[in-house]
Amino acid sequence: MPENSEEARSEQDVAIDDAELIGLFAGHGIDRDSAAHFRGRLERRLVIHRCDDCAHWHHPPRPMCPACWSWNITPTEVSGRGTIHLLMTLHQGVPAPGVDYAAGHPVLTVELDEQSALRFTATATPDFPADQLEIGTRVELDWIDRDGTPTPAFRIGTGA
Amino acid sequence: MTDRSPMKDQVAIVGLGSTGFTRAGNRSPLAMALAAATEAIADAGLTAADIDGVVATSEPAAKGSEEIAAALGIAAATHHTKPSPVAMFSILDAARAVFSGAADHVLVVTPVVMGPWNSRQAAGDPWRRGTRSGILPNPDDATMAAAYAAWASRYIHEYGASKDPFARIAINSRTNAADNPLAAMTEPLSFGMYDAGRMVRDPLNVFDMDLPVDGADAFVLTTAERADALPHQPVLIHAATTGIVGKNDEDQLTTLGRTGQHVVVEQLRRTSDIWIDDVDLFYPYEGFTIITLAWFENCGFCPPGGAEAFLREHWNDDTNRIEINGRVPVNTHGGSLSEGATRGTGHIREAVHQLRGTAGSRQVEGAESALITPGGFFFNPQGAVLRRG
Repeated sequence: MPENSEEARSEQDVAIDDAELIGLFAGHGIDRDSAAHFRGRLERRLVIHRCDDCAHWHHPPRPMCPACWSWNITPTEVSGRGTIHLLMTLHQGVPAPGVDYAAGHPVLTVELDEQSALRFTATATPDFPADQLEIGTRVELDWIDRDGTPTPAFRIGTGA
Repeated sequence: MTDRSPMKDQVAIVGLGSTGFTRAGNRSPLAMALAAATEAIADAGLTAADIDGVVATSEPAAKGSEEIAAALGIAAATHHTKPSPVAMFSILDAARAVFSGAADHVLVVTPVVMGPWNSRQAAGDPWRRGTRSGILPNPDDATMAAAYAAWASRYIHEYGASKDPFARIAINSRTNAADNPLAAMTEPLSFGMYDAGRMVRDPLNVFDMDLPVDGADAFVLTTAERADALPHQPVLIHAATTGIVGKNDEDQLTTLGRTGQHVVVEQLRRTSDIWIDDVDLFYPYEGFTIITLAWFENCGFCPPGGAEAFLREHWNDDTNRIEINGRVPVNTHGGSLSEGATRGTGHIREAVHQLRGTAGSRQVEGAESALITPGGFFFNPQGAVLRRG
């Protein structure tokens, strides 16, 4: 039942209340089901929903496993390693601190090593080598600061 | 999946109304909706007293079916709904209402507006400043519109495609728009102009993206039987469907080789007696050019990754547009890229004009059937086969 996952989430809570969390991530459509994921970000941990019963990962966060309908979901930190699957450079968009559309803002969808077609989308670190910013490149999770909020970003991978 | 198609040829589109589309609009969404609606009802040879169903597409800033009914002075309606944007959700809702007996004459109305989220001009207009699209302001997402640029990168990567087929979709639409008095953008587009287009979401440039406009389309649907007594040649809904795969979050879609487009095509092939070798007209959606390449491939005109070769082979240099096998034109009205971003109502309206013989200078002689495929990859792929009644 869903109560179990509520308990699992509460153990990871950092010291901000729900109202503050919602305020920080309102632009991301945060809700009860994605709260653990966004609390993870504040600790610079990429937390993805995983099923306790069938071990299936899913994203974006939902309250029930889409593979087996189990409610026993544990938000679980991933390695952050993966491969660029989709890639674009935004030259316009909503204004955001530290985002320079004039220079081109890269957005990478990374296929995570944990599971086939489990993906996470984020920007690239500022030092990402431009000539290796392409589909198929191995990457690792890093964090940048955006107006004081830890924000996931991928850097070039260092190994397999 | 169902093989049943009891609605086949039982519902007709009998009325059309359109304001035309503009980049310099100064009317409210309700005013545009009412202009299109009254025109469509009159075009069907009907009055407000005949309308007992109102379907009002939930476009940003659009009024609901109850306010449309109030503004039109409808006496009573037994079917009134507010489907999501993208045309077939509303057309199918109306058709199913007619077929089920929920209502006899159903009005569909879809106003579209430029908003602060897609137009700098609109962002400076105080009448539009408060308009919301529901799109979340996060620069690091590959969702909504941005998802099409993201998957275009994958298409180019997997097939080694150039931008040539993307350019041909954009140029085809612009060429056809020149003959359409409703179209917002009619200046001719060359390959050179396309290549020089301002990059917006690399790999997609400004010519790969539909054109934000103001305007409205409206339709009236009734039974095939009632349609015979009305002024225009009826156009029948022969087959129609929507389709999604379960794993449809934009960045989680397993592969472009299995999307809602495939579900739509499989369902149309199960239920339609008419398919790509038979149709006289093709209206693949081009909200983004990558969507259109996928529709060509997924409908079976060419294999996956084959759109580049296909469009080059079926390009008419003299007319500067696509003509499939020298015969079937594509998006004869100029589509969402050049007529304006109607999310598919323009494609359906134009197909009906062609099939009933009211397409003016764009008329394709003897056109009897059309394949229309609105929607993208994720949560709104749709399709229909329309035929002359």
